[in-house]
Amino acid sequence: MKKILSLMIVLAVVFPSVLGAQRLHIDIEARGFKRMKVAMPAFAGPKELADSVWSQCAKDLEITGAFSLLNPKGYINPGPISFIEPGTLKDWALIGADYAVAARVERQGAQVNLVVQAVEVSTTRVVLSTVYTTKAEAVHRGVHAFMDALMEKTLGLEPIFSSKIVAVQKVGKKKQLYTMWCDGTGGAAIKGGGDLVLNPAWSFDGKKIAFVSYWKNNPDLYLLDLRTYKVDLLSSHKGINVTPCFDPTGTKIACTLSKDGDPEIYIVPLGGGGAPERLTRSWATDTSPSVSPDGRKLAFCSSRAGTPQIYVMDLVTKKVERITFQGSYNSEPVFSPKGDVIAFIHLAEDRRFHIALIRTDGTRMKVLPGTGRGDESPTFSPDGRLVAFSSSDGNIYVTDFMGTSVVRVTDTGGFTEPCWSPLME
Amino acid sequence: MRNAERVVGLMALVSLIFFISGCAKHGVQQVEGPTPPSQQEDVITGTPDMELDMPGSEGDVSAAPQAVEEEIAKFEQDRIYFDFDKFNLTAEARKILAEKASFLNAHPNMNVRIEGHCDERGTREYNLALGERRAKSAQDYLVFLGINPTRVSTISYGEEKPLEAGSGEDAWTKNRRAEFRILGN
Repeated sequence: MKKILSLMIVLAVVFPSVLGAQRLHIDIEARGFKRMKVAMPAFAGPKELADSVWSQCAKDLEITGAFSLLNPKGYINPGPISFIEPGTLKDWALIGADYAVAARVERQGAQVNLVVQAVEVSTTRVVLSTVYTTKAEAVHRGVHAFMDALMEKTLGLEPIFSSKIVAVQKVGKKKQLYTMWCDGTGGAAIKGGGDLVLNPAWSFDGKKIAFVSYWKNNPDLYLLDLRTYKVDLLSSHKGINVTPCFDPTGTKIACTLSKDGDPEIYIVPLGGGGAPERLTRSWATDTSPSVSPDGRKLAFCSSRAGTPQIYVMDLVTKKVERITFQGSYNSEPVFSPKGDVIAFIHLAEDRRFHIALIRTDGTRMKVLPGTGRGDESPTFSPDGRLVAFSSSDGNIYVTDFMGTSVVRVTDTGGFTEPCWSPLME
Repeated sequence: MRNAERVVGLMALVSLIFFISGCAKHGVQQVEGPTPPSQQEDVITGTPDMELDMPGSEGDVSAAPQAVEEEIAKFEQDRIYFDFDKFNLTAEARKILAEKASFLNAHPNMNVRIEGHCDERGTREYNLALGERRAKSAQDYLVFLGINPTRVSTISYGEEKPLEAGSGEDAWTKNRRAEFRILGN
């Protein structure tokens, strides 16, 4: 990573006995799942800093899909509070809080301390009590560490705030790559790829990004090594070389080429070994491949039935099955990290493009409300519970599968084609 | 030396264009559907440069480059349009392509790059493929009309370069298009 973050958990005073074993399995189809309610009064400390850290915590709580913040207007004591007094727990219970969070933010030279305490209201258990120390310009990393710990210690969830999103950012007439943490913080442009860059895709190990650039006046495929920022040309056949998707082994890339006439799906070996292997043979447009996490299946979009629909190919037998039959436009399939669900874009009855989910066997299709203004480019969080996407306003949003909340993670606009990274160490 | 050659060559080209555009004007009515390519090729290959560069006067020379530029500008401005999620050529598109074939036959030293474009609806990824197919449809038709495939290249921009910003049927109709760029040889 470009920015070296100095994130240290200086102190972790936790009641260890109650921690541990219990891991909840959150079923995406469990309609009964209710978000945990969190009361979080204003943070203590220098007001401006404390408020900004509070706001980021509030945004991140919503992004988790697991928590929802109780409106501070209803709090008996709205804060600032730096510590949850045991005697006040009944006040938090009264307004329906499952957890109460209090914090103090301190400046210490070039560093900032975030001193957080989270309490499970019903049991009075202190879930975490930790000081996160960061450089002043990287306070968001302290919030991320706190959020990751809160999710882990309360619900046994994976640390999604240790993951990034790469997207395409439009600046003037140019389009470039842009990376950010999954809540939009720590954003950085990756310049120098020419005027038009598209279709970024992370490798399964998070160390590389494949993308399309018109650098040589043709949509060609390139591979960016994030350790060195060196870019290699991957595929530059005549016609389009687009929509890269890594194979889980990291040794090949599925993509769309039109070198043999019309757009078809191919597997291109990495490291300069061998010719592309053609997977589809159809007069129609075949595009947007997504390789399943076990490497056995390939989802793609094809217009072979007259309209764009989603198909799944068994990569061993090469047998192809159509899985979407609802609607006249279904495109951009992506496998969830567990491989059981595919997210895609669906032209819904309201004549808007929505994110939809479907099982790989074509059952249980579900259309997510999203922004309702035209959503595109779905991408799963590394734990598979959330979907990020771009909307027609040029911002990136994160939604859970219930669609109960849609959180905007960018505010400047100009963003398209988000792709969520795996967890970063 | 080189300059002199260039001037002579330019004058030849200019005269050729005048000659052909004169022909074309009379021929336009006939050129409706796919024209048998041999006809126009005969006109060109049968026209020796030297002969035609004779009548060039000073006035003609100064006016000429502009005439070529105007012709090129018209060639590049005449776009063809497509229906939503379609890449087949409409009758109107075929007519425009036939005119383009005629122009390309008249200017054998010029090559064309066809850009395929889409409206903002549908996904970016699918539209990259769709734009490619639109450009390819136009390319195939030009080749069918007798243009050497090596002179016609394609590039898809998907929905990345709309002609008209904004949403709505008006903008979409204009953005579902193929554009034509003259490239020097």
